[in-house]
Amino acid sequence: METVRAFLRHPSGMIGLVLLLVVVVVAIIAPMVFPVSPWEMVGAPFTPPGEDGLWLGGDTLGRDVAAGVAYGARVSLLIGIASALAAMAIGVVIGAISGYFGGKVDLVLMRMTELFQTIPAFVLAILLVATFNPSLLTIILTIGAVSWPPLARLTRAEFLRLRHREFVEAALCQGERTWRIVLGHILPNAISPILVVTSLTVATAILLESALSFMGLGDPNLMSWGFMIGAGRTVIRNAWWMSVFPGLAILLTVLAINLFGEGLSDVLNPRVSRRRS
Amino acid sequence: MTPLGSAAAIGLQAISRIAQLVAVILVIATFNFVLVRAAPGDPAQVMAGQSGASDPKLLDDLRKEYGLDKPYFVQLVSHLGRVVRLDLGYSYRQRRPVVDLILERLPATLLLTVTAFCLALVIGTALGALAGLAAGSVLDTVFTVLSLVLYATPVFWLGLMLVLVFSVTLGWLPPFGYETINVQLSPIEHALDIMKHMIMPVTSLAAIYLAIYARLMRSSIIEVAQQDFIKTARAKGLSGTRIVVGHMLRNALVPVVTVAGMQAGALVGGAVVIETVFAWPGLGRLTFEALLQRDYPVLLGIFLILSIVVIALNLLTDLVYRLIDPRMTTGAA
Amino acid sequence: MNRREFTKAMLACGAAIPFGITRAAGQTRGGTLNTIIQPEPPVLVTALNQQQPTLTLGGKIYEGLLKYGADLKPMPGMAQSWEISPDGLTYTFKLFPGITFHDGKPMTSEDVVFSCMKLLVETHPRARQNFSRVASAEAPDPLTVVFKLKQPFAPFIGCFDCTSAPIVPKHIYDGTDYRKNPKNDKAIGTGPFKLKEWVRGSHVHLVRHDGYYLKDQPYLDEIVYRVIPDAASRALALENGTVQLVQWSDVEFYDVQRFKAQKNLEFTTKGYEYFAPHQWLEMNNRIAPMNDKRFRQAVMHLIDREAFSKRVYFGNAKVATGPISSKTRFYDPNVKRYEFSVDKAKALLDDMGLKPGANGKRAEIKYIVPPYGESYQRAGEFFRQSFARVGIDLVLVGTDMAGWAEKVGNWDYEMTQNLLYQLGDPALGVARTYISSNIKKGILFSNTQGYSNPEVDKLFDEAAITLDAARRQELYSKVQQILVEDVPVAWTLEIEYPIIYDKAFKNIVTTGIGSHETFGSVYKS
Repeated sequence: METVRAFLRHPSGMIGLVLLLVVVVVAIIAPMVFPVSPWEMVGAPFTPPGEDGLWLGGDTLGRDVAAGVAYGARVSLLIGIASALAAMAIGVVIGAISGYFGGKVDLVLMRMTELFQTIPAFVLAILLVATFNPSLLTIILTIGAVSWPPLARLTRAEFLRLRHREFVEAALCQGERTWRIVLGHILPNAISPILVVTSLTVATAILLESALSFMGLGDPNLMSWGFMIGAGRTVIRNAWWMSVFPGLAILLTVLAINLFGEGLSDVLNPRVSRRRS
Repeated sequence: MTPLGSAAAIGLQAISRIAQLVAVILVIATFNFVLVRAAPGDPAQVMAGQSGASDPKLLDDLRKEYGLDKPYFVQLVSHLGRVVRLDLGYSYRQRRPVVDLILERLPATLLLTVTAFCLALVIGTALGALAGLAAGSVLDTVFTVLSLVLYATPVFWLGLMLVLVFSVTLGWLPPFGYETINVQLSPIEHALDIMKHMIMPVTSLAAIYLAIYARLMRSSIIEVAQQDFIKTARAKGLSGTRIVVGHMLRNALVPVVTVAGMQAGALVGGAVVIETVFAWPGLGRLTFEALLQRDYPVLLGIFLILSIVVIALNLLTDLVYRLIDPRMTTGAA
Repeated sequence: MNRREFTKAMLACGAAIPFGITRAAGQTRGGTLNTIIQPEPPVLVTALNQQQPTLTLGGKIYEGLLKYGADLKPMPGMAQSWEISPDGLTYTFKLFPGITFHDGKPMTSEDVVFSCMKLLVETHPRARQNFSRVASAEAPDPLTVVFKLKQPFAPFIGCFDCTSAPIVPKHIYDGTDYRKNPKNDKAIGTGPFKLKEWVRGSHVHLVRHDGYYLKDQPYLDEIVYRVIPDAASRALALENGTVQLVQWSDVEFYDVQRFKAQKNLEFTTKGYEYFAPHQWLEMNNRIAPMNDKRFRQAVMHLIDREAFSKRVYFGNAKVATGPISSKTRFYDPNVKRYEFSVDKAKALLDDMGLKPGANGKRAEIKYIVPPYGESYQRAGEFFRQSFARVGIDLVLVGTDMAGWAEKVGNWDYEMTQNLLYQLGDPALGVARTYISSNIKKGILFSNTQGYSNPEVDKLFDEAAITLDAARRQELYSKVQQILVEDVPVAWTLEIEYPIIYDKAFKNIVTTGIGSHETFGSVYKS
């Protein structure tokens, strides 16, 4: 309760939360406001904004850009959250093993994490999605596969910090099983910074997904913001609105998540927050 | 530590870094190998498909040429052997060795990324330092909001918006490409022409990193300002400028350079998208073309080469690190 | 054959007078034509690679024995005249005297025989088909080539243009590994232009071949093909005059309208008659529900092809009525017409028992998007919306080129889109898609959908060996009626690629091969 009140007093965090709620509401009510599929060609090609009842204009095929932006919110949030969770799963497992067992295991895992952190993640993502063909699942798994290193490092640090605390030592003495110690004692105490970083990972995942779709590596059955901007790139002389509005949508969503996540971080763990600057 | 000892330490470290580089190349090459094998479809089929025709004879030839009939381990070893000899395979779509294609495009990418990197680092730290020194002022607030917005902007979209404003609407800058084609120019005019084409791609690529470095620098400066040695310096009566330049900036830069080095990979990834937006004839556009045609040998080669570039940039930041913070003897803390 | 007979034969072929070429008095020598090549071709030797950019560029370097007009009738190329024996088995070509390769060596009938019978059958799939019909090819004297066919084949005379049978130098290729010949980089042909310089990723510079056999030709001094991979940059280059000619898909369809209005530019859709790109929605006839004729007919009804042309191709396409393009020979407009009607489509689907289920859906079908660029992507999206109107879910599946080729070639698909050239004669470019003898697993551009109809087979077979044009028309009309009723594939559009060029240039489009032509007669006024 105290943290909620603290968050309510956090101005930028609240701005983020409100913006985020707007995006979520848009995603939820999209089918009610736009009962027709965003793929349906409802107007003339290249209809300027405001004409023919298309507030944000029409695209090359005469599809409603506004409907696309609204439905795109669903895709972005879905992929953003799902792939951040995937990244969290990978990162927590690797970080936990590394931090709990230490020694050679730690060394090998951390070398691997460093490697993943230095190689160009976006190029790796392109390679993975192109090889396994773009679909919702491959995109989520790929983004997860290139976004986990910060989470692994964080989890490892938390585990190192908690590993030798009294309550862990006590559990060890009582002969509790390793997995029970990890899941029952260490993880619950490490979870809040992990959640904060995961929430920020949602933002980078959305950016990554939009870049992939922009490059033509989105799921062809999903209307996403990156896809819309990609389709608008070549026709930017004819129809600026095709790329401007979806881009604004990405900007607002990512900004909202970042503000929200940082606010959360300030309230939950001032320690991590300071370190992360 | 004696100068000799320190030189030996640096030499040792250089050797260990190079060993690390070789290890990384081998790991990535192995990963590439696994990826091609894990991908759906027979690699020979894929290569034959890329050659535009597929008949049994071609498939057999390809299997022999690439040793696909041999055990996996033997294949992996010969693959690594080829990589070490800089043989990254053959692009059947372009009918040229992959390494030629990549080396041809590498300079343009380096020009773009290195320029953007330097600009972002210099301007970002300068702005961040200014904001940090004037923490709480209007300038600081404006600046914080701006960097937050930039941080949330997709790089490719920023590029497109620049095109929309400066090329489509105002007509000031060339929207795409590396140089004006089909005109005779003196070397100086040519250089100016390339610079004009560089403005927008470099700006869009540098913007987000500028924001990141500036934010880091700002908080770093604020943190350093509260530390004891600065207070001591003030107590000793050193002038404000000397404190800022000699002590604060130098110390505040350390975390910025660390992060800059770590983000070299992201910068190169951003270059791939930016080159697509601006039709910049570097590796990014090669990636895009290879992507459209699913030219896997080229994609894998680009991945390997870019990884090497990133690691080289990491080494570079290590050197910079040493320059600004002589106390550091080992790169890894 | 005596001289009189020979002259008569020449006249009969209409061979002596090249037509379609402006014979203006003031044809000036000199000038540079800047144009675009995209994507950059892997090689320039058209005998080794037949992708469109290779053919466009290589067409200036390599010449064929014949050219074909917009009506697809043969015109002299390197052969000044030709004769077909009445039984349709013997083809005799007389070459122009004084033809030389770019390395200075003379081109003789020996080179023609070598090219057609030895090299092309190895390296050129289309030529392999054509010249496999030849029983013997001889070079009785340096200027005469005689082909004897195993059996009559009416379109054989249509197999000699620079894209189907480019002539290469025997002295360079004979006895070598053709694909790895080091001289491939030099690209030595007999065309009016020769390769001066190829800067990869930048441009290909062609200059006048001074030893060209036609008097005064070529008129231009040089042609520069610029490599401009980005569509927006290409459009800009045409707009500001950096390039003076664009062809095929150099400028995107949505930009074409803009250039039509630009005063200094000439716009035409002529020059593609030989290819007549014909596009369709391909349905695997082996799988339900596509194995039911009524389903395929419903597909014809449910796609608004006028709107399809307008939205996806920005009007640069004409609605196709059946298997043969209206741009080519033996087209018959008198076939069953499938107007856009969702109701008729629904009725046909109901009739075959494919009724909507509880969720309102009739079926779910996977559609493989061909990986050839944005318009294919848009087309898939258009089809998906069209099918949705009758309750059929079209699920788009993205893939790479190898994947597409493997899936379609091996019949492992439900629906996709395809585009084939008609190649001047239904026996060459149309029959291959529908005859059951061409159901060949693993081979692209064959009868991949698996349509089989003995009557259609018989008609196509007979038409191929019939020499009388009127009789052929009869047979092809019949075939068109049957196919349009059966709908083996859902024909959508005849794509009309533009050629846009600076008005200062004349004779850009003189034949049905358009921008692939040699450009020897192109001049700048």
